[in-house]
Parts: sequence; C-alpha cells; structure tokens
Amino acid sequence: MSNSSSKAGRWIAAVLALLVLAAIFTNLVIDNMPKGEVRQVEGYTPWSEETLRIAEMLPVQNGGRIKPLSTFAGFTMLGLHGARSMEVEGSGGKVVRIKPTAWLMDSLFRPQLAIKLPTFRIDNSAVLEAIGVKPRGKRDRYSYADIEPGREKLVELAKTYEAIEKDKRDPVQAQTIDLAYNLRNYESLIGYFGFARFGVTLHGSGKKDVPDQHADISAVMATAPQIRQQIAQTQAQGQPMDSHLQSLMQQVFDAANFAKYGLFILPPADPKDPIWLSAGNAIMVPITETKIDPQLAIADIKVLESTARAVSDEGAFNKELVTLRDRLAKRAEARGEYRHVPLEASYYQKNWFLYALVFFVFGTITALAMCTAGQGKAALILYWTTLATTAAGLVYCIIPIVKRCIIMQRPPVGNLYDTIIFIAATSVLIALIMEWMTRRRFALGVAPILGTLLIILARRFELGDANDNMDPLVAVLNSNYWLTIHVLTITLGYSAGLLSAFMSFIYLLMRGLGLDDGDKDIRRSLTRAVYGMICLTLFLSLIGTVLGGVWANDSWGRFWGWDPKENGALLIVLWTLSILHARLGGYIKEWGMHFAAVFTGAVVTFSWWHVNFLGVGLHNYGFTAGKGTIWQFYIVILAILVFGVIARAIEGSGKARAAA
Amino acid sequence: MEISDTPPLSKAPRSIPGKIYDVLSGFGLATITMLLLGLLTWFATLEQIDNGLYPTLTKYFDWKSFFLLPEINGKMVPLPLPGGYWVCAVLLLNLILGGIVRIRKGWRHYGNLIAHFGIILMLAGGGVAHHFSERGNMAVGEGESSNAAEDYFEYVVEATEIKDGKAGKIHVIRGKDIDDLQDAKLRTFRLPELPFDLQLTGYLKNAVPVSANERAPDRQQLITDGYFLMEKPKLAKAEEAERFTAGCYARILHRDGTKSEPFILAGASFRPFSYRYQDRVFTVDMRKRLWVMPFTLKLDKFTAAFHPGTMRPAKFVSEVTRIENGGEAKVTIQMNEPMRYEGLTFFQASYGPPGAGPGERMYSVFEIVRNPADKWPEYSLWIVAFGMAVTFLIKLGSFLATGSRKKRHV
Repeated sequence: MSNSSSKAGRWIAAVLALLVLAAIFTNLVIDNMPKGEVRQVEGYTPWSEETLRIAEMLPVQNGGRIKPLSTFAGFTMLGLHGARSMEVEGSGGKVVRIKPTAWLMDSLFRPQLAIKLPTFRIDNSAVLEAIGVKPRGKRDRYSYADIEPGREKLVELAKTYEAIEKDKRDPVQAQTIDLAYNLRNYESLIGYFGFARFGVTLHGSGKKDVPDQHADISAVMATAPQIRQQIAQTQAQGQPMDSHLQSLMQQVFDAANFAKYGLFILPPADPKDPIWLSAGNAIMVPITETKIDPQLAIADIKVLESTARAVSDEGAFNKELVTLRDRLAKRAEARGEYRHVPLEASYYQKNWFLYALVFFVFGTITALAMCTAGQGKAALILYWTTLATTAAGLVYCIIPIVKRCIIMQRPPVGNLYDTIIFIAATSVLIALIMEWMTRRRFALGVAPILGTLLIILARRFELGDANDNMDPLVAVLNSNYWLTIHVLTITLGYSAGLLSAFMSFIYLLMRGLGLDDGDKDIRRSLTRAVYGMICLTLFLSLIGTVLGGVWANDSWGRFWGWDPKENGALLIVLWTLSILHARLGGYIKEWGMHFAAVFTGAVVTFSWWHVNFLGVGLHNYGFTAGKGTIWQFYIVILAILVFGVIARAIEGSGKARAAA
Repeated sequence: MEISDTPPLSKAPRSIPGKIYDVLSGFGLATITMLLLGLLTWFATLEQIDNGLYPTLTKYFDWKSFFLLPEINGKMVPLPLPGGYWVCAVLLLNLILGGIVRIRKGWRHYGNLIAHFGIILMLAGGGVAHHFSERGNMAVGEGESSNAAEDYFEYVVEATEIKDGKAGKIHVIRGKDIDDLQDAKLRTFRLPELPFDLQLTGYLKNAVPVSANERAPDRQQLITDGYFLMEKPKLAKAEEAERFTAGCYARILHRDGTKSEPFILAGASFRPFSYRYQDRVFTVDMRKRLWVMPFTLKLDKFTAAFHPGTMRPAKFVSEVTRIENGGEAKVTIQMNEPMRYEGLTFFQASYGPPGAGPGERMYSVFEIVRNPADKWPEYSLWIVAFGMAVTFLIKLGSFLATGSRKKRHV
C-alpha cells in the first residue's frame, strides 16, 4: 500500500470517526433534553429537594413487587410522557425541570397544577383531530387540560376501536386506545387524594342560611358500625334509606372509587396477605366489614388526609410526609418487603449507566485518537487513558448490574433490557481480556465503541418500552439455577459474537483504508483473535442452546420445539460451525474469515432481537420498541460487507497490476 | 498456520468409492449441510409467522419433503432447497465419517472427537425421542386419584362387551394401524375373543359426523344412518393438533360371513356405537388412547400463585402422593421441577377451573412423557462441552504461547 493511499485512508477513517462521534453526541444530548416546548404553568413552584428525597422512599406495590415511589414515578412518566423529565416556565418566568418524583407529587398533591403540565406525548395529531382537540403539530406533548374537552369522544372512539382485532387496528386507532387508557390511568392519580382534599359534605347539617358542614372520610369510617346498624334497621323496617345517609354513602363510595387504583401504598397488617391496599380499598374496609383491621385502615386514611392537606406549607408537609413514610416503611419492613427499597431509590438516583456512557464516549474519543497516533509517547498516554476510561465505564456497568441482582434477587438477565446492559458489560470485559492477551490495541479500540453503542441501545429501549424492567418474572422463568446457567451462557455467546463482528469490521476498515500500512503481522494477529472469538461464540452458544433445551425439557417436556428463539440460537451455532469448518477445509482465508465474522453480527442480532418481534413462540416479548434499530443495524452490516468486497477487489487488482 | 483436523488426502489417484468417501467425510459437505440447515431454519422461523408451526415443520423437516420452496410474507421465494430431514441425514453421515472415522487421531484432536461423538449422541437422542416417545396428559382433582393418561394425538378404536352394565375386556386397535385407511382403503381387524371382526375404512385425521339433512356431502361421502363424516379444516398451530377429532367408517363382520350396515366411528361423538348380536351387547368406540401408569397419583393440593396485585403467574405447585404396591411417597411437581419415575416424567402443564375463587376445589393437569432418550441431551451436553473445552483450551494455549503477544505493540 502506498503512503498516499494510506494517508487518504486515514482521512476517510478520521471523517468516519467524526461522524460516529457526532451521531453519538447528538443522541446523548437529545436523550437527555426535556421533550417538547417549554410550557407556561402559572403559579408553578418546584418541590424542595428535601420533599422529593422523603417522597421517593415511600414504598409502593406495583407490577407484582414492592418498589420505591421514585421507580413507580419514573416508569409512569416514561409511559405517558416518553421521557424522564420535562421543563415548564413557572412562577416569575423561571424555567423548572420536572423529574419523575416531582411530576408524580404534582399529580397526587397538586392536581390543579398537574393538569396544566405537558404530560401526554401524542405521536400522531390525527388522534387529537378525531376527538375535536386542535393539535399544535404532527407530534407534540399535551396537558390533561388540553385533552379534557375531547375526553368523552376519546372514550367513545376507543370503545369502538377495541372491538377491532388488535392486529387489524391502524396506528391512529391503536394510539387512540392507548391515549384513552393513559388518560384513565392519569385520572386515577390526580383524583387519588380527592377524598382528603374535599372530605364529605353533610347535607342538611347546616342551620338555616348557614352552609352545610364538612367531615373527614376517616371520621365517617369511624362511624361505620352505626351507619351499618342504621341501614340494617331501615332495611328491616322495609323503609327507604334516609336521603342524608344515602348522599353520605354515595360520597364515600365516590371518594373510594377515585382512590382505588392509582397507588397501592398501604401494607396490610396480616403478613400472609400479599396484596397491598390503595386508599380507596382502605376507605371501604370498615364499611364492608372485611377481615382487615378497620382501626388500622382508619388510622392510615387519617395520616393520608393530614399529608394531603398540609401541601401548602412546605415544613408541615415534609413533617407529615415523613410520618407517612415511616409508618408505611415500618410496616413494610415488618413484612420483610422494605429491604431493597432504599437501594433501588439510590440506584435510580445515581444514574449509573449515564456515567458509564460518558466514560465510554470519552474512551471512544481517546481510542480513535490512539489509532491515529502511531507508536510514540502520545500513543502510550492515549492507550492508558483509553484503558482507564473503558475500565471505569465497565465498573459503572458492573455496579448497577450487581445492584439490580440484589434488588431483583435473581441473576442479572431475565428480560431484554437486562440482556443489553449485560452484553454491554461482558463484551467490554471480553475485549479487555483479549487486549491483555494480544496487546495489539485493536481489542481496546473496539471496547469503548461497543460499550457506547450498547448503552445507547439500552437507554433507547428503556424509553420505548417504558416498562419497569425489574418486575418479577413469570413462573416458567422463575428459576435462578436455569437463569444462571442457560441464560447467562447464551447471552455471553451474543457478547462474543458481536465482539468478533466488530473486530472483523476493524480489520476490513484497516485493510480497506490501508490504516495498517500493509503490516501482515497485525492482520494475522487480528485474524487469530477473531478466530478465537468465533470459537468462544460457538462454545457458549452451543452449550447455552443445549442447556436451554434441557431446561425446556424440564419445563415443557420437550427438548426442542422450533420456537423462534431456539431457532435463532441454533442459527448462531450452525453459522459459527460453518465458519470453522469452511476455514479448516481451506474454503475461506483471511478475507473470508472476516466477512463471515462481520455477518455473525447479523446472525446474533436476529437471534437476540429480531425473533422477539415475530409475534410467535414462547419467548415472544410482545413489544415493538427498537424494531427500526434492527434494520438500521442490518444495513450497516451490509454496507460494511460491500465496503469489504470493494476493498478486496481493489487490493486484488492492485496485486495483479504489480505482478504484471 | 492452522491445524487441520482431517488427514491430508493421499496424492495417489483415488478410486470412485474413495472419492465418494472423501466427499461424504469432507469439510466441504459439512460446511454446505450446516449452511443449508441454517438457511432452512431461518426460512422456517419466518414462515411459521404466516403459516403456523405445524404445517411449516411438516414442509421443512418431514421425511416426505425432499425439496421445497420457501415463502416469506406469503410470497414464494424462487430458491429450491432440500428437505431438512435429508439434510440432517447427510450431516449425520458426514459427522460419523468425517468427525469420527476420518478425523486425525492424537491428543490434540481428541477434544474434537469427543465433541463430535457428543453431537451424534444428541442427534440420536432426537431421533429416539421422535420415533419412540409417547406424550399424554392426566387431569386430577384435589383429593382424587388417577392411574391413566390420555394420549394427546393418537385415536384408537376400542371394542368391548357390556355385561351387567359393565365393560368387559377392552380390545384396542392402535392409531398406527388405522391412520393410513384413507378414502376407499379398508382393513379387517380380527377380534378372536369377540364373535365378530371389524372392518375399517375412510379414516380422517380431523372430522365430525354431520347430518345429511342439514348439509349435503361435499365429496360424495358415504351417508350412513343419515350422517356422513365431514373433514374439518387443517389447523395451523401445533397445539391445535391436540384438538383434532379423528373419524372413520366401520362395519361388523360376523363369523358366518354376514355383515352389518356401515356405521361412523368419530372422536367427536359423545357416545360409543352400540351393537346387539346373539343377545349380547357390544360397544365400539373411537377415542384418544388411554395408557395405564404403573402407579396411581393422588393430588393432595394444588396452588396457583400470582405476583401480588397482578395476573402474572408466580408458581403452580401440585402436591401429590404416588401410590404403588401399597406404598406411598409424597412428591411436589411444579414448573421446572417435574417428577421423573419409572421412565415416565410428569410435568406441571395446566390447572383449573379457570378463574377459581378462594376455597374452590382445583384440578391439576400433568403432561406425561415416556421418552427413552429423556436424559440423552443432557449427557451429550457434558460430552460436547468437555470436548470443545479441551479443543479450544489447547488452541488458546497455543495462541498464548506462540501468538503475537510476544510482539506486542504496547
């Protein structure tokens, strides 16, 4: 390779690297920026940090487990708003960034402000047009107050569309149904503390020209035995219920209904009862005479009432909030259910993966600089800097993964989100081990890039999926033994496969652009490393696949069921076996080996991601987030292969000319 | 330089059988068959979205399928591919000839030899399971016992004499002996202990008897006693095959050479066909095969637990007592923890009644599998893992010892 072509290659590589960095940087900024325009919300004041710190540790039962309020807030906001923060212009024109716990606190305790927040993400303005609400743009965020005028029409349309089979609904119909559900869920939050704010009106209690009196729901609950007795008496006498009593009961039922679904926050006193109560459930306890202690329910409602009413005075509110938190935490602790709540609250506070991403991005920059720096002192400094930042990124991946294991009480991989962060950590780790074995810098160069891309993927997936990824697993997956030996093995196989694809991409780029100055030693070394990674991919995928079969044999009574996930794993095994046999038979040499290894990336992607979107099989997760990313990845792989083929052809013709 | 696992070919001219052997045991055939199998698996994965698993498996992997044209999104792909069954057969042959017989023998290659042997064991296990395993299910209510499983798929014909309102010895004609009797093909089954024989014909895998008054036969089917057998549409999903109801036409052949009018036997019928002959009463029925277990299973308690506040299942547990020869053993069967005993495996499969309230009596459904190769995949796993570990560790050692690490760039 001539010096001029090598120089041109370096320039092309530098431009490519800059483009990649710009894409990563843009992605980072977009992901972390609040979405939508800054809305003016008159009178909005932010919650104090102290209030938020107290609130986020409140335990809540949701999704089959106990979690901190901050986790519940995070995923609820993500589901409705499509982001974990929003910005509004509050009192005095001050721009306030509202994060999940603050947003939920607004919804629960300051609904008059909350309904003006741009909570709802609408991806298609046709949904709003259909319900008679004037949209602002094709895609925007709207407040409850914006949508409320079209509420009735929305419910009516949603009911009509629900009659259509799920697969046959068009996007507008599907989004109309989603919006109707989102609105209903949101109403269960903003109406939750209605019972505390308004109490009940005792009609006819006021004397002439004096307003009717108000009473607390907890006070009415305390008189439940007398109310029941009176109702029984009137029924026994065959008389209609007293109109005042009827009105009172109606108000109690309404209050209970509004507080029935939003938040399951009250741990039952009976340790054998696994289901926590909402405020609405607690209100009905003394009235319906369940087995639950009515005095406890009355006391709980009293505390909730005092908390909600103190909201206008920050000091008093914090005091009441502490009382509420301590009361609930103590009861949850006695049931052994509070253990991981503080850990989980701190997990989300620390934002580990964002820091990991920052380290990997920094490592990517230094790695790219290292590749162009040659062999001098600067290169050595860049080498160690890349190593240090990549290792720091790895640590910032491992710590939260370990924390998640402690919180979930299971091995690290149980759902698709888990696989992404696990693959990010393990592929970086394997790359660092490979670097330690080869000391050729290419494995180190790949590690932070792979880490960056995978963490971005994890963040994107979490945004699109908007489901709590620490919720418990279904019965058939609920086996720590099999999750450890099968799932981890197969996922490690994905890591190794992706790493081999990336390393071969580096090879094609290096050789195609002449970055290696024709150094056959480096080429051979990279080929041997990729060969080793293919062997590792085969080993892990084959063992993982067969272990999966053995697990399936124990769960479903059959070793192999041609499920798409099983087929995907088999494809990796067959593909890597083909590569190794083709190489042993001499059918592929260096170029062929790397083409095949790059294609391994597509096979792994099909097995890891694509099969989940097929909508069939026992491993079908039933989501759609990230489908576009798969096709982008396939296109990138195709582009790399085309580039490689062209590079090989050019090199071949150059050699032929030289020989002539 | 790469180490080859296959000895180099001799330079001497090879005979034709020698050349065939070289091809059959070569890396080329191994690579091609594995690529073809991969391609078939990929197409089958995509095709099952539109066509369902059951027909897709038949199309891609049945022994009767020699060549096929894949489909994606309902459109045919003009790429003829060989049937998966035959690709597997060639691969197995290649594995035996190349991976066991021809492979280099020596300590550096024993790992590969062991791994190949493990894979052969795995494939053999698959074959044994495919041809010799039996599957059925047993539903038992809490406090109740059962010692019989019902086959998922196999329909049999049962004939018996009824004496004093009780069934006598049941004579069973197995499914494999009748499922080829399609259209006009008929077969006579000798029943020496009964005063007649049975002649069966017109077998349909999935059919229902339909009144000719309600619907006219669409394929000129035989009408008997006002009814004919109508074939039901083919179903796509594998689990739907469990709901097939087979049917056929039958005729009773007396020893004196006379015979009855033809009648319908159908899995979908609620009652067996009843026949009076020489003042004796007999019944002939078509039903799913029952197999008797060597022990009785009593369901003591069934628990279905869900993650609190959700409909997400947390665990399904059946506490049972296994009763055999007067002895009893308490066993727990749950998801991922089947009961294996006397060659049978009991899996927790289902439960009911759906939406049962607290205190309601539950029943549990077990899937029962008799698979002679039940544990073979597990044994082969350890063999393959050991073989591959040996091979790759040798390669890793060689890489670290002689590799480019010595010429490191840092």
